Amino acid sequence: MAAAETEPVPAVAPASRWRRFRLGFRAWRHRRPFWGGTLVVLGGGEILFTYKAPLPVVLHFGLYGLAGILVPAMLVLVGAMILGDPAHRTFYAVLAVLAALGTWLTSNLGGFIIGMLLGVLGGSLAFGWQVGERPPSRRRRRRELRGGADGGGRVGEESA
Amino acid sequence: MSQTGTGAGATTARGEGHVRLRRFSLLAVPATLAGAALVVLTASGVLAAQFSISGMPFTVTADQLTGDGLEQYGGIDNAAPGSPNLQDTNGQELVFVSAIRQAELTNLCQSVSIGFTNLVIRAGQGSSKVQATNLVVDSDQLSGDASFTNMSIDQDASTLTEVPGVTGPLGTFGQQADTVSIKNLRQENWATTASSFTLPGLSIGFSDSGC
Repeated sequence: MAAAETEPVPAVAPASRWRRFRLGFRAWRHRRPFWGGTLVVLGGGEILFTYKAPLPVVLHFGLYGLAGILVPAMLVLVGAMILGDPAHRTFYAVLAVLAALGTWLTSNLGGFIIGMLLGVLGGSLAFGWQVGERPPSRRRRRRELRGGADGGGRVGEESA
Repeated sequence: MSQTGTGAGATTARGEGHVRLRRFSLLAVPATLAGAALVVLTASGVLAAQFSISGMPFTVTADQLTGDGLEQYGGIDNAAPGSPNLQDTNGQELVFVSAIRQAELTNLCQSVSIGFTNLVIRAGQGSSKVQATNLVVDSDQLSGDASFTNMSIDQDASTLTEVPGVTGPLGTFGQQADTVSIKNLRQENWATTASSFTLPGLSIGFSDSGC
C-alpha cells in the first residue's frame, strides 16, 4: 500500500500541470452539456464549410441568400452559448434544433445532411442534460421498493 | 428515499449533470420526425432548397435543360488561400459564368469529389422536373447541344440584363439570350449558387464513380 502510494509521485510531478489541466477540463465538461454543445458547434461549422457563396451574389439575392450563411452561423453561436451558459440550455437547445432543421432549406441541404444531423443530435443531447445524479435505474428502484430494509441500508451506506 | 434526495443535492451543488434518455427523446423524436418530413417534402418537389458551393470542382449533368433568361461572361475564380486545389495556377481558375433566371432540368445528376469517394445528388428522373431560380454557375467546361432565342453576342458583360442583379466585369465579353435549351448537358463547375432549387425524386448517396 505504502509502496504503491509513493511510487507514482516522481512519475506524476513532471506531468502534473498537464494532469491538473485534464482534471480541470473534466470537471468543466461535467458541469455543462459538453457533447451537446460541441456537436451543435461542429454541425454549424460543417455547414458553413460546405456553404461558400461569393458575397456579391448573396447580397444580390437579398435576405433569402443571406439566410444561407446566417442560419448555420446562428447554429455555431447557439452551440457556444450551450457551453458557455448552461443555465439556459433548454432555450438554446430548442433554438439549435430549429436552426439545424432550417439549414436543410437554406444551406446546401443542411451541409449535405451531415451538419443538420449533428445539430439535431447535439441540440437534443443538450435538452436532455440535467443537473444531478443519474436517476436510479428502474430495476434498482423496484428492488428498493420490494425489500425496504435491505435497500434502505444500501442507500445509507452510499450517502455516508 | 430522503437520503437519496440529499445525495442528489450534494451533486447539484457541484453542478454536475447527465443526459436523461427520456428528456433527450422528448426533443429528439419530434425533431427527427420534422427532419424526415422536410426530406420527404423536398424529395416530392414541394419545398425548395438553397444551394451555394464554391472552391471545389464538381460535375453537373442533365438530359435536358430549358431556361428563361441566360447570361454568359468570362471570369476568374479564386480558390481559398492555402487550398490544395489549383496550386500550379496560383489558386486561380479561368471560368465562364452562366446565369439562368429560371431553369428546368430533367434527370439532374450532381457529383462532388470528396477525396476517397464522390457525393452524388440525383433528382428529376420522373415526370416532374428540377426547377432552379437565379442559377449562377461558374464552369471551366460545358458541353451539350444548345439552342438559343433572341441572342445577343459580344455585348459588354457589365450591361447584361437577363438575370437581374448579375452582371460581369466592365469591358469583357458577354452574351445573353431570352431562352436557352441544352440537350445532354455536361458541366465541370467551380461554383454554383441557386437561390431556390426544387429537387423532386431527390436521392443523396456516395459512389465511386461520379456523374
